[in-house]
Amino acid sequence: MFQYLIRRVLWAIVLFLAVTLVTYVIFFITPSDPARLAAGQGATPADVQKVADRLHLNEPVYEQYGRFLWELVGHQSLGTSFVNRQDVNDIVIRSAPVTASLVFGGAVLWLLISLPIGIISALKPRSLIDRAGMVFVLIGISAHPVWIGLILAYFIGFKLGWTPITGYSDFFNPTQEQGGPVQWFYHMILPWITFAILFAALYVRLIRANVMETMNEDYVRTARAKGAPEGQVIRSHVLRNSLLPVVTILGMDIGLALGGAIFTESIYSLPGLGRQVLVSYENFDLPVIQGIVVFSTLCIIVFNLIVDLLYAWIDPRIRLT
Amino acid sequence: MALLEVNDLRTSFRTDDGIVKAVDGISFSVDKGKTLGIVGESGCGKSVTCLSIMGLNNKQSAISSGEAVFKGEDLLTMSARRLRDLRGNDVAMIFQDPMTSLNPVHTIGKQLNEAVLLHRDVSKKEARARSLELLKAVGIPRADRRIDDYPHQFSGGMRQRVMIAMSLINEPDLLIADEPTTALDVTTQAQILNLMLKLQEEFNTAIIMITHDLGVVAEIADDVVVMYAGRVAEEGTVDEIFTRPHHPYTWGLLGSLPRLDADVERLVQIQGQPPSLLNPPRGCRFHPRCPYVMDVCKAEEPRLMPVSEQPQHLQACHLDEPTKDREVAKLLAGQLAEAG
Amino acid sequence: MSANGSGGGSGDDLLVVEDLVKHFPVTRGIVFQKEVATVKAVDGISFTVKEGETLGVVGESGCGKSTMARCLMRLLDPTSGKITFNGRDITNLSRADMRPVRRELMMIFQDPYASLNPRKRVGFIVAEALQVHKIGSDSEIKRRVQELLEVVGLNPEHYNRFPHEFSGGQRQRIGVARALAVNPKLIVCDEPVSALDVSVQAQILNLLKDLQKEFGLTYVFIAHDLNVVRHISDRVMVMYLGKCAEIADRNQLYVAPKHPYTGALLSAVPIPNPALGRLRQPIVLEGDVPSPINPPSACRFHPRCPRFHEGHCDVEEPELYSFGEGHRAACHYPLEHWPMKADEMRVADRPVTTSS
Repeated sequence: MFQYLIRRVLWAIVLFLAVTLVTYVIFFITPSDPARLAAGQGATPADVQKVADRLHLNEPVYEQYGRFLWELVGHQSLGTSFVNRQDVNDIVIRSAPVTASLVFGGAVLWLLISLPIGIISALKPRSLIDRAGMVFVLIGISAHPVWIGLILAYFIGFKLGWTPITGYSDFFNPTQEQGGPVQWFYHMILPWITFAILFAALYVRLIRANVMETMNEDYVRTARAKGAPEGQVIRSHVLRNSLLPVVTILGMDIGLALGGAIFTESIYSLPGLGRQVLVSYENFDLPVIQGIVVFSTLCIIVFNLIVDLLYAWIDPRIRLT
Repeated sequence: MALLEVNDLRTSFRTDDGIVKAVDGISFSVDKGKTLGIVGESGCGKSVTCLSIMGLNNKQSAISSGEAVFKGEDLLTMSARRLRDLRGNDVAMIFQDPMTSLNPVHTIGKQLNEAVLLHRDVSKKEARARSLELLKAVGIPRADRRIDDYPHQFSGGMRQRVMIAMSLINEPDLLIADEPTTALDVTTQAQILNLMLKLQEEFNTAIIMITHDLGVVAEIADDVVVMYAGRVAEEGTVDEIFTRPHHPYTWGLLGSLPRLDADVERLVQIQGQPPSLLNPPRGCRFHPRCPYVMDVCKAEEPRLMPVSEQPQHLQACHLDEPTKDREVAKLLAGQLAEAG
Repeated sequence: MSANGSGGGSGDDLLVVEDLVKHFPVTRGIVFQKEVATVKAVDGISFTVKEGETLGVVGESGCGKSTMARCLMRLLDPTSGKITFNGRDITNLSRADMRPVRRELMMIFQDPYASLNPRKRVGFIVAEALQVHKIGSDSEIKRRVQELLEVVGLNPEHYNRFPHEFSGGQRQRIGVARALAVNPKLIVCDEPVSALDVSVQAQILNLLKDLQKEFGLTYVFIAHDLNVVRHISDRVMVMYLGKCAEIADRNQLYVAPKHPYTGALLSAVPIPNPALGRLRQPIVLEGDVPSPINPPSACRFHPRCPRFHEGHCDVEEPELYSFGEGHRAACHYPLEHWPMKADEMRVADRPVTTSS
């Protein structure tokens, strides 16, 4: 178990280095001139040159990369933005909670939707609920989140006025016009739904298949042969075993979701990491992009590690080898 | 009165290809404390018969009819609740594959306790003590430590012992064992059969042993039912079936066994393979493979009739008795007619 | 009235195996995997098979018989030892050098459902070896395949069908046809009837015997069912935990076994005869088969042996003592007579005096 942990951590470090290196290299391949962008509209070539020097843009790639790594590991700093000289750390810390709200809230929502539908569909195959569930799955997978977002924003936000259309409301620090948990919730509802529908659809299918398969396992038959009532059979024997794979996939998907958050953040103008990446990309603000990539990678890696450990805890077969 | 009396049991399955008549009119009885062996090849319906009795078939696709009277009550028509009371309590079942029959994420202690707590109003501590008692009775070494282990930490033979413990923990009157030793080595099989017989004596449990191994049947059964394609070919005491079998299928089965106590150049072959139960042959289901087939066999299903002077020995075959006696004599001498 | 395989082997030694060893390493480590233990699947087996005879290999799970079969076929590389086939040392041949040898050394597998490629037609499956070795033109190959299908009792017109259209027994016949295609000298049969029903088993066993007579084949027949092995073999080898416990002529082994493990196996086999069955008292061994990772010291069987002598059996490994006529057993206190009851077995006073 301990070895398992150490091995996962070592791999995590290797992964981390690989991802940052790749991001760095990509930026050197795309043609751009961040110095000019940073220097501003009225800059002369001499100004641009000065900016380039200050930002170390003329050094060879590996030196710049080395400098970046040193800053990161030694000073825990992600650098400064090319564009507005802000600390990337600050930018990230400001945007991260927004994305986190979106992703984790969305995950909770998609689990809340998919678990009951998936389980009930599996327990009553070919019933009305099952068929309705499958229609939901079809729509959820086929409709693009952007489209869903726009439709929802238009009808519920604009036409019906039930929720605000854009913007984010801080959970903890209310400003004069708005803030606090209730407002936060209102602002997040549509983004959550937009974000969750695709995943909910996929998970309904996954959960349904797993539960149906587990119902046919020999040990479920043994439980029935012992005289256990159906409810106990399902709770004690079917659910835990069939939902095990869902835990692993959830870990992977939350990682993916961080990427998908970009769409949702754009539509609803949520100032999260995704939106920040888009903005920084337009300006070729390498440090910010790099910083967000680093931060996201770290989050995903840590999250997957937690999921791996959780899995080992839930499934005794893994724990004891 | 017999402990269990099965009358004209029929079970069909609705499948995408049509209706499969897996069990098509089975009748037999089991007496208290005795062992009945149900023998037959794959697809003959022996497992389905017992799953039907216990009500463990897939509810959506299986339809059963007939009766299975256990201590005066019909298992097939009783309420689901009453059936659950009996399962694991008065009637228990163990299955073939010990690897998959135990839940991998619960300790065996928990699974044993569950069996007790479902039917007895005792505390968890008392249930655990009872589980420990049974684990020791089935010969698990260091039972007090192993009770908290998970199934994958046991070998196949040990797991089957755990299954036996779990099934006997409430001292049922009837234990149905579906090929319990097929997946085990020969020496392990000997251990398990030994164990089952010992516990049978201790608890006076009746056993229905489903198997394809005629050797196992000969060793532990008192009575035998030979099944073919969902029907009974022959049934009687174990001595009758093995020394005076009265059905060509039984002759074929016995003759096709390589044996330690006999020497043959060629084994008896039953030509062809078991029929599809979607579209079973008309008349006697064995007729396409039978070396003694007559016209009547293709048209009329033979009824289960007693052998003369042996009213407990029933067989379903149109052949006349003198022919059968002749063939039996030949079989015992080691040369049986082989068609094709 | 004695019925053997095909006359007990009339020819020279076709297959000679000397001290065959196959170990699998068990590795552990965080970054660098290092070997911490070995699975001693086969740990020093020697035997010979004469041309035309059938050697039965019997043993329970974990005894190493399947691993040994794969080593014989060079599907696995032996860790050490020597395999001589038809006079040629094939132990360390390269793949290319092994190819012509494979024409003479074929295998039939246990699972008729898994050993045939479900996406290939039967004709292709049987013809594949012929095509690999470039034997015959396309039309000749097709004719040969149809001939083979007929020989094994299948309809030659089913040449273009897929495996799933056949039953288990028929699939096993396809496996036999496939093995026969290139006219091999030796066929290794790895539990070919274990997955089949009893009546179908009889068909396949009869088929194998007929083919042996007709084509002069030699078989190494591996099974766990002692009845089946006795029926088809001329000589039988009993394996336990990677080593040979006993090897003898078929009748000798079943009538007068010397090794207590053989005795226990024989007594555990159920006999389809109620009168005999009830009288029988099987010698029930204690515990499970130990793991081949940590086999017991000296005699592998000593922890479970009813004739165990402390200080001898757990200290000195018994060699394969000879009891005449090719009958050998690895036991210091062989059975004096047979049958024996469990309590009789425990009385073992005289250690073996003959030696090889």
